[in-house]
Amino acid sequence: MSDAAKYTENGLVALLKQRDVPAFEYLYEHYSAALYTVILNIVDEKEAGNDVLQDVFVKIWRQIDQYNEQKGRLFTWLLNIARNAAIDFKRSRQFRNSRQNLELTDSVYYSTGVTQLDTDKIGLAGLVEKLPEEYRKLIRLSYFGGYTHEEIASAENIPLGTVKTRIRKALSELRKLM
Amino acid sequence: MDINAYIESGIIESYVMGVTTPEETAEVRSMAATHPEIASAISAFEVMLEKQLKSNVQAPPQIVRDKIFSEIISPDETGKVVPMESGRGDIWRFMAAASILLFIASALLNVYYYRNYKQMQSSYQQLLADQGVMQAHVDKMQTRMNLLDSSMEMLQDPSMKVVSMKGNDGVATVYWSSKTKDVYLLKNNVPAAPAGKQYQLWAIVNGKPVNAGMIGDCVGLCKMQNIPEAEAFAITLEKEGGSPVPTLSALFVMGKV
Repeated sequence: MSDAAKYTENGLVALLKQRDVPAFEYLYEHYSAALYTVILNIVDEKEAGNDVLQDVFVKIWRQIDQYNEQKGRLFTWLLNIARNAAIDFKRSRQFRNSRQNLELTDSVYYSTGVTQLDTDKIGLAGLVEKLPEEYRKLIRLSYFGGYTHEEIASAENIPLGTVKTRIRKALSELRKLM
Repeated sequence: MDINAYIESGIIESYVMGVTTPEETAEVRSMAATHPEIASAISAFEVMLEKQLKSNVQAPPQIVRDKIFSEIISPDETGKVVPMESGRGDIWRFMAAASILLFIASALLNVYYYRNYKQMQSSYQQLLADQGVMQAHVDKMQTRMNLLDSSMEMLQDPSMKVVSMKGNDGVATVYWSSKTKDVYLLKNNVPAAPAGKQYQLWAIVNGKPVNAGMIGDCVGLCKMQNIPEAEAFAITLEKEGGSPVPTLSALFVMGKV
């Protein structure tokens, strides 16, 4: 993208830490669509996605001081905030809507199967669709569902070590599609 | 440890995408700190992921952007502006409420004062009327007292001749000034004249009656006509307005000088 000339990543972060509004506008222009798409991949609903994206950018504005360049790229930090916010939202919504016996997998099939929103076709989810079902399911549970390895192991009735290995393998396969 | 095998295991992707366990995360960080290949593999996947996630995207609606920027910018500016405006609004609201209350209070006071005014006005009119009545009484008494006063003076005058007239039905007295020859009558005991009738005083001069005046409602002494000479005085009951000659059958009282 040619706009990259306007700010280096370090320069952008420095301005953001000074609460520079034009820098924040630049950040929004260049990152909001990617973050919004990830959020939609997770929450599967546009209204909810709008709310979560709003919360995410307000959080970014307020918590930019917590970003440490040594630990990774800015986008990786932004992506984690967006993904965590979306997963928190989905978890709290599922909790509100939950029936006593709601199964882990039910919610996953609910979000990617029953409602069948276009959000499966965009962003990373679109790429994940191209993976074999075995990998697809693990990525849905861990990346889009936010479930821990232990939760997945217990729900899928497979050993924890196997869960770890398969998730790594699935993401490694995903990378090959990039 | 085979660094390349580690890098190829998928742990880098898991770490960058945030699906590692806390122990795995700590492990990757420690490995990256000691192995520059791992650190650069991490950076490379971050760049790759960023590029991937920026493709096939859906842009958020403009409304979200507006909400975000109003939320992050407004706390600074509205912190100054909006409270002031709302503060001003409060003042206007307060003033409006106060003026309505004042208006209502004023309207109530108007009613109250108008009623008081009406009451006072009627009391005042009543007092004026009472005062008029009192004044009339006072005037009447004053007149009466003046008349009685002058009557008293005349009675005390030593030049006054006193002619007492008596009859079967009453008593009256003539006071006749020897200086001025004025005649005054005192009704000692004179019943009211019947309707259509009036008492008339006569002076008897050389045996003949001379009209000395009609007797009206007078206080104290009634001033009659001037009589230069007389031997006696008499009162008869005549028709109203008097008669040229006395009706002797109706002689009421008589007295010699």
